[in-house]
Amino acid sequence: MRSARALVLFLVLAAAALLAYEFVRNRSGGIGSSIPVYYTELDGQTMGSYTVTLGPARDLQSVAFYAATQAVAGPPQDVEAIRFPPGTFVHSVAVAAPLVTVDLSGDVKNGAGGSFGESGEFKGLVWTMTALPQIQAVRVTVDGAPLATLPGGHLELDEPLDRSSW
Amino acid sequence: MRAALLAVLVLLTCAVPAGAQDAPNIWFAGTQLIFDQAEMRAGTVAVGTADTGLQRFLARLGATLAYEPGQRYVVITTADRRTITFTLGDAQFTVAGASFRAPFAPYSAGAQAFLPLFALARALYVVPIDAGGETVLQPQLGALDVHNVGQTVVVTLRGATPLHFRRLAGDDGQVELLFTGVASTLDQSRIVGSPGLSQVTLLAEGTPRNPSTSVAFYGPADGVHVLGPSSSPNELTLIFAPAGTPLAGTPIPDEGDAVASVGAPAVTPAFTPPPEPSVPPDTSSDEDGDQTAASPQPGEAATVASPSPVASEMGAAVPAVVTAIDETPAESSFSVRVAVNAPVAYEWHRLLDGRWYLDLQNATLGIAPLDETPASDVVSSLRVRQMALQPIPVVRVAFTLPSDLAVDLEPSDSSLTITVGASADTDVARTGLGQIGDAGTIALAPVSSPLPSATPAAVATPWKFAPRTANAGLIVIDPGHGGSDSGAMGNGLVEKDLTLDIAGRLRRVLEARGWTVKLTRYTDVDVYQPNDSAHDELQARCDIANNAGARLFISIHVNSFTSSDLNGTTTYYYKDDSLPLAQAVHRHLAAALETKDDGIQKANFYVIHHTTMPAILIETAFLSNPGDAALLRSPTFLQKIAVSVADGVSDYAGAPPPPQTSMDIP
Repeated sequence: MRSARALVLFLVLAAAALLAYEFVRNRSGGIGSSIPVYYTELDGQTMGSYTVTLGPARDLQSVAFYAATQAVAGPPQDVEAIRFPPGTFVHSVAVAAPLVTVDLSGDVKNGAGGSFGESGEFKGLVWTMTALPQIQAVRVTVDGAPLATLPGGHLELDEPLDRSSW
Repeated sequence: MRAALLAVLVLLTCAVPAGAQDAPNIWFAGTQLIFDQAEMRAGTVAVGTADTGLQRFLARLGATLAYEPGQRYVVITTADRRTITFTLGDAQFTVAGASFRAPFAPYSAGAQAFLPLFALARALYVVPIDAGGETVLQPQLGALDVHNVGQTVVVTLRGATPLHFRRLAGDDGQVELLFTGVASTLDQSRIVGSPGLSQVTLLAEGTPRNPSTSVAFYGPADGVHVLGPSSSPNELTLIFAPAGTPLAGTPIPDEGDAVASVGAPAVTPAFTPPPEPSVPPDTSSDEDGDQTAASPQPGEAATVASPSPVASEMGAAVPAVVTAIDETPAESSFSVRVAVNAPVAYEWHRLLDGRWYLDLQNATLGIAPLDETPASDVVSSLRVRQMALQPIPVVRVAFTLPSDLAVDLEPSDSSLTITVGASADTDVARTGLGQIGDAGTIALAPVSSPLPSATPAAVATPWKFAPRTANAGLIVIDPGHGGSDSGAMGNGLVEKDLTLDIAGRLRRVLEARGWTVKLTRYTDVDVYQPNDSAHDELQARCDIANNAGARLFISIHVNSFTSSDLNGTTTYYYKDDSLPLAQAVHRHLAAALETKDDGIQKANFYVIHHTTMPAILIETAFLSNPGDAALLRSPTFLQKIAVSVADGVSDYAGAPPPPQTSMDIP
């Protein structure tokens, strides 16, 4: 009888542990359950956005990387938007609130050379990143190194960008 | 009681993942991976993003996965910060920017996305091996990149897991390393042909579950080699050079010593080769995907541009390393001592907005970057960072100064002391050159002669921190791009030619109305110097207007975009005091031109930010659009632009004042 009680107690504890694990694994918290991702529409001024839902990892660093990746990838292809040059991807994101540094691949330098695309691309990225809690400005590096401007020479990148840059 | 016991047992049984009993028999690192959310698709394994076996596999590799239901992208970040991106519904996926094709398009089911397991594994440098009814996921030595920098060769090896190796006995000039736990499908031999390293050979050994790979490096008997810094435990960097070449790094251990690559210095890289897209091992002939033709091959030798004349004059291609930054605040001054391990040349510049910076040429940062606000009244900010790696690495030390304080430089054999505010000299200079470590060639700032190849427009006159007396009758027009920078091109048009044409027309119209006009360039030239940095080029254009005390600055550009559908005319401003000028000019442009009115926009473009007077940048039309391009070919249209801008200037500024006789306007 005593051993049966012990067994029942063990099983109840095991079930409780399993439920606790599931609760922790699926809990919400941290940043919140979703973030907006912005893009610049083809008029070069209007900001569009869509919402992405976050997974269990809610720390700012993880969310910032996810947000930057989404912003650089852009909205679904059927949405008309100013997009980063094909192949551009996010190497890394470093958060030092209120600043976040986004390191982009060198593909970002392969744009059409006009200020229109250049401005719209980074506007979407900056809007997205500064929508995150604590983030107010975005420093952009390319392939790990600072870049004064893109080769076309329009947007100033050697200082952090924020929403007042536009 | 029995009923309760039975209920708990049923509950626990139900909690066991349903798919576990159907899980494929896959082993990794000596243990079987249990995939509880896997299924077969297109003859291969599709695994769900919520699968605990997948998560365990990724965790062992130091990789992270990001995906949420309803989203199109699944992003995996590897330990060495490469990004693998899958898109739902698209069999193409990317690895560090290179494109690959999976055997099926990832898809969503329920709350998760299903990915091709083996394609993902290969992107993580893990190759599936059929081992008698089981599949062994075998870690690979996935990339061997060779970079030639002068006579120095930098070899970077990347593995699926942290690299562990020991050195084997070898002949003179041979360094042979045995990597345990990783196999390799890379080419078995590579001719490098550098004086410091002639050849690399690889030999994969061991069993599917216990692989090893030996890598032998062949160089001159008296060659030198060190371990360079690595950015992650999965990476190992070795540097080879001919005898006598100074190398920064740690010695390669003696024969028999076991080493993990994380043991190499992993601080801010003191010698980081330019990043190259890294790609997974061979994906061309297996069931789980084939590499697209445009993708780079792993380990292709890349030749870096030869060092600049500055580096050549120093007699060594190996960069100096900044080893320390020491700050000394005082009551009315602030000193920074920059310590280096080798001679290094520098140049410095002062910008109009209070920024002052010094570039150490052919130098790398051996300490963590700095970005701080010092406890000082004379320096608002201090930043030290790696600015560029090509064509030579540059370390920049930058201050923001609250006023036009003098900056004194005192180089020694192994350091440079920069002191702000100690000198009473108010004739602050704009630029200068110097060198640390070679007293014979030290040129203390300020210099009286211009930089070697700078144009007269950039440095001909002594520079004062405060702008000259404003010239109310002067307008500076900036024809965008020029010389080595063509700007945008398309539909047979070249931006730099169009901007020069329009600027010339605008100049003539404005001069006819009584304005004094200065162009930042009058011909097809770089304003600063050929192939200069965008920063120097744009600052030189700002300097022309700032130093002349111009009343207005107008930059002429022609737009371009990847889509040829877009067209129109836009006027940009940045500073609030420039908006009325933008409004006046754009009103006339919109009324007179046949192009679409894209309006007035604010943007932090360099030349309209760093000029001190009202400044606008006009994107006259899109040369990428066939309709706009046809207009841009018409002299009538170009003249309309010039007249419209001049009309806007007249609206904004009225008539020009009587000409001044004291100004030195060419």
